[in-house]
Parts: sequence; structure tokens; C-alpha cells
Amino acid sequence: MSTERGRHRPLSSFVVRGLALGAGVAAIAFARRWLDVVEVQGSSMAPTVLPGEWLLVEGRTYTRRPPRVGEVVLAADPREPSRELIKRVAAVDAESRTVDLRGDAPEASTDSRTFGAVPVEAVYWRVVARYWPAARATRL
Amino acid sequence: MRNPLRPTRRVHAHCDIPCGIYDPAQARIEAESCYKIIEKYNASSDELLRARCIDIKEERAELTKHHIDVLWHDYFKPEHLEKFPDLHDVCWKASKAASRVKQTTDLEAAKELLGLIDKIDEMWRASGGPEKTRLQAVAV
Repeated sequence: MSTERGRHRPLSSFVVRGLALGAGVAAIAFARRWLDVVEVQGSSMAPTVLPGEWLLVEGRTYTRRPPRVGEVVLAADPREPSRELIKRVAAVDAESRTVDLRGDAPEASTDSRTFGAVPVEAVYWRVVARYWPAARATRL
Repeated sequence: MRNPLRPTRRVHAHCDIPCGIYDPAQARIEAESCYKIIEKYNASSDELLRARCIDIKEERAELTKHHIDVLWHDYFKPEHLEKFPDLHDVCWKASKAASRVKQTTDLEAAKELLGLIDKIDEMWRASGGPEKTRLQAVAV
């Protein structure tokens, strides 16, 4: 009995250390605003993401390069900067450094068609994945 | 206990209003009411009727202003401003005229308001408003 437990100890301690290290890295990433989690409100991004779903977002990519067409991003609403929008990048104008945002459900979305293209600086977070509901967990 | 995986930050897959129906006629009808009420007010010596006129006129003027603001904020887009450089000026003056109609019993103010709403209507028509923001036919 004791020998068996002894044999398992190295493995379990490896797992525990791995988890602790992972948690530590995640904590640093969150603290440095490399990663965050957000809850979706509204349906303008249906069917890609639905209201109430929980997403992982990261804030590193756009410090290195501008957003690309097709990426799902968070951007401050130009008409109400305290409100953060989730939309898809429909076009990027390298010259004026602006990004055109669209909802995936165009008939139920207020986006760049209404408020115009937004400056590239307004787009900081890239949506990486959905982690809840677990059955719909996926990279985005 | 609160789910620790649940995000505290909300992002908005936002939609102002899915209907997309606009028509300056809405503002015009309320402004016509104001015009007619001011005429009745000036023609009457019945204090009760005059008091009611003031009451109704203030209510209708407020509605006029609301409809002008909705066109200004929601219908008109940045590309319309390029096409009609005096767009902001006309909407601003129309809002102010609506306030004056609310405050006074000056028939000239009501006339001016109607003229400005007609200017907004011209821009709405020239930008394809009648085809784009009114129902063309409804199956019943």
C-alpha cells in the first residue's frame, strides 16, 4: 500500500506543480492585461457568439500588428466610449489607420455602417475562444 | 457561491434598433399640429381653450424635437454629411426652432420649423430614404 502510494507521488507532485505553474502564468497574464474573460450581451454577432456566452480575449496581438479582416474583436463604441462592442473586422484601411466593424447578423447590428470606421487604436482586444457553454467551447 | 469562471466584464454585440424605419413626415405632422394650435390660440379668447392649446403645443413640440433628433443621430451617416455639408447646421437649427415653438406662441417660429423640417426631408429623399427606410409593401 505504502509502496504503491510512493510510486505515485512523483507523478502527482508533477501534476500539482504543473497546475500551480499554469495558474501562476495565467495570473500574470491576466494581471498584465494579456488575457481577460468577457460575457456577451446582445445578438448582433449571432450565430457566431450568442448572448450570455463567455469568451477568452487577449490584448497582446494588436500591440504588435493591426487587426486583420475576419478577426472578432472588442472595440470601444465611438458613440459611447464606456460601452465595449464585440464585432468582426470587415475591412482595414492601412492609410487612414481605420477599421470597419460589422456584426455577423447585419440586420440586427449597429456597426460601422452607422458610426463609421473606427481608429485602429480603438481595437485592443482580440477574441480567442469561447469557453462557456462547455458544449460550444471552441477557438474563434 | 459565484462561479469563479464567470466574467465580470460585459461586451456588447450591439444593435440600436432593428427596425430602421425613418421618415421626416413624423416630425412634420407634429410641427403642423403646433402651427395650427398656435393659430387657434391666437384666434381664441376662451381662456380654457388657450390653456389647453399651450399644453398640447408643448407636448407636440417636444415630439417634433424628438423625431428630428432621431433622424439626426440615427438615420444620417458620415457619408451623408459629405454629400450635404450643412446637414448638422440644418438639424441643429431645426432642434432649436422646435424649442422656440415649445416656449412661445410665435407663428413665425412654427413656420421656420416647418421650413427646416422640409430641408431635412430633402436630404432624406436625396439619400434614398423613401426606398431604404420605409416599407415598400407589406404582405397581409
